[in-house]
Amino acid sequence: MPPLAEEVESKENAAFRREARAWMEANRPPDPGFKLPQSFLEVESDRQFEFLRDWQRKVYEAGYLGLDWPAEYGGRGDPLKRQRIVSQEMARARVPFLVNVIGLQWAGPTILVHGSEEQKRRFLKPILSAEEIWCQGFSEPGAGSDLASVQTRAERTAGGWEVTGHKVWTTLAHQSKWMILLARTDPQAGKYEGLSYFLFPMDAPGVTVQPLVKMTGEGGFNQVIFDRSPMPEEALLGRLGQGWQIAMTTLLFERGASEGSGGGQATASAESLRRVADLARRARRDGRPAAEDPVLRDRMVQLWITEEALRLGSLRVRIPELVAERPQALRFMSKLVYSEFNQQLAELACEILGPETNLWLGDPRAMDRAEWPRAYLNSFGMTIGGGTSEIQRNIVGERVLGLPKSK
Amino acid sequence: MYPQLPVDFGFTEEHEILRQSVRRFLEERCPFSEVRRLAADPLGYDPGLWKEMATLGWIGLTLSEASGGAGLGQLHLALVLDEMGRRLLPGPYLGSVLASFALEAAGSDAQRGRFGAAIASGELLATLALGEPVASWEPEHVAATAEPVEGGWVLRGLKTGVLSAASAGLVIAPFGTPDGTPALFAVELPAPGVAVEPEIGIDPTRRTARVAFDGIRVAREACLEGPGLEALRVACRRGYAALAAEMVGGTEAVLELTRRYAIGRKQFDRQIGSFQAVKHPIVDTLIGLELARTHALAAAVALDQAAPEAEVAARMAKAIASEVYPVAVRRGVQLHGGYGFTWDCDVHFYFKRALWSRATLGDGAHHRRHLAARLLDDPPTG
Repeated sequence: MPPLAEEVESKENAAFRREARAWMEANRPPDPGFKLPQSFLEVESDRQFEFLRDWQRKVYEAGYLGLDWPAEYGGRGDPLKRQRIVSQEMARARVPFLVNVIGLQWAGPTILVHGSEEQKRRFLKPILSAEEIWCQGFSEPGAGSDLASVQTRAERTAGGWEVTGHKVWTTLAHQSKWMILLARTDPQAGKYEGLSYFLFPMDAPGVTVQPLVKMTGEGGFNQVIFDRSPMPEEALLGRLGQGWQIAMTTLLFERGASEGSGGGQATASAESLRRVADLARRARRDGRPAAEDPVLRDRMVQLWITEEALRLGSLRVRIPELVAERPQALRFMSKLVYSEFNQQLAELACEILGPETNLWLGDPRAMDRAEWPRAYLNSFGMTIGGGTSEIQRNIVGERVLGLPKSK
Repeated sequence: MYPQLPVDFGFTEEHEILRQSVRRFLEERCPFSEVRRLAADPLGYDPGLWKEMATLGWIGLTLSEASGGAGLGQLHLALVLDEMGRRLLPGPYLGSVLASFALEAAGSDAQRGRFGAAIASGELLATLALGEPVASWEPEHVAATAEPVEGGWVLRGLKTGVLSAASAGLVIAPFGTPDGTPALFAVELPAPGVAVEPEIGIDPTRRTARVAFDGIRVAREACLEGPGLEALRVACRRGYAALAAEMVGGTEAVLELTRRYAIGRKQFDRQIGSFQAVKHPIVDTLIGLELARTHALAAAVALDQAAPEAEVAARMAKAIASEVYPVAVRRGVQLHGGYGFTWDCDVHFYFKRALWSRATLGDGAHHRRHLAARLLDDPPTG
């Protein structure tokens, strides 16, 4: 019989995986005794933030972050595969997520592609160590799905730029040292050509961060108002007028269509069908385990099939002949399919809970501390953020299938 | 619970060469005009083409070399069937493949030797009779009976929906034996006491018939030697994966027809594919197709590995293909508008193939019921 997946892994990688697995098990932080966020979208209190920042620092110091980033910028210059192994082991061990998600997965990889040598030396290492947290200043009240309508302006001054405008849905802004900022530098130029991309210091004067409360009642994201906030010359990333192009690079990383993140996973709990199946064995309906209900069984299996397809797809996509029809399809679909899958899973968990779904955060009798209804509500962060599912369908239709653009 | 697969799927250059040669052959020999001609043809397939496919080694593809076949694996077959599904190749290939699975799983060396080479050469058209009037998709339930008599058996019962039976020279079919388990019998056709009555099926590219065994007496050697139930399970499992691969090919073709129509057709001075009400359902077909193709390939790989949980993979492949293909053809007809409702539009042939395929070898709900037992019951009940 031919060797199986884990045996096929090179000896070095298999040893590395064992080592990473043992480290995660041995160093998993103890329950802090207070509610932890489910994802980076709802870090609200300082104690939550500090707990998560300490954890990321510890992971970095142990050598499990930035593996594929060059050594001169704080990484280790290893193949991407190594970082993937660590991410898989973190998900398996169900350790807390890494709080600097926007730095690790969006800002850092973008700086690696478009940054100057000075910018790479300045910014990348503190992203890995969580010393400097990043947020993203793309969306605005009038620029959501239509991102290129950004109105926030960056105007030339003697020593650099001055920013005036309004950004929304700014996750982690209140904890951030830096922001990746998309701003209009040339109002006369075209919608796309008039945009530039900046690395903006959040401690600049004239910056107001106001928390927004999410539908779960939790904080964690914000709006940011800039009133003639200065930034230096070297805040510009890439060339003037190249902002839209660079923003697209960031979005490819954000949506998982490009690989190369510093590591970590965006949520604490890679929710899986298996956990929902376990829930169905514990939850009751008509005095019997919910796992005996034929309709719920069918729906669990539907999601099990999707989950396995997603997992197996990550193997298939590495064999070019098996994705020859549309080499980019699985990558472009990734954010859309994963976010909708997670939403369906959380919704099904709520249905399985039955009346137990109605107990909310803070009620000590709530099953699993109300994590399921909370996860369902929070799942919309992923189907809306980073380009809504509707926009994702346009992108897949146009880029992968060559369908004409929607106006 | 899902079998572990090799990270490279065991995919080799040989697989790619086979796929390319099937694709080129069918492009040349099976244009849609030919599908339409054969759909109206009394025989329903082109015997010349069948002979050529035999020469190319495709009929005996998965029969072992000892049985006179090419000894290739399920992944090879999946790639071949994907191409055939795209082209909607009319003919007896699927029935022949299913019969080969059963022969390989239950035949003794002598039995495989007797039939295998003739099947692979295209001389003997074989089929597997799984259906009966009281529908069951699981091999445990066989109403037809085999009664042991001096020197042989007497077979009684009615088999329905038997693929290409009217053209077949060999039918392999399960019959219940007095010990309560089914055994597989290989019966050469035509035979007195075996009545083959063609059915008028929904899918004109795929011919079926009822085969009535009216107390026909067969020799002892007609009974395939291996344990019948286990062999049927193997044949079914391989059948789920094989049919799923063909369904994925059909979905691919329907996606392409629909995509091209949405680009070419204009209304309100715009290509209709620019409307999100048209674009998004096409994208959803693509997503379903990609997930289903991943499963069809993975199930084939799992079977090639002889993984103990290969049945889970095979059922998943058939379950998802049985959801995705029918939805793809429904959208395909709908998005072609009035033209889609006509005989002239090719989509309805895929529509019928999709319905037939969903209802054959177990639909989505059926396989999910069995998968649920693996997922949720301890010990698993299904």
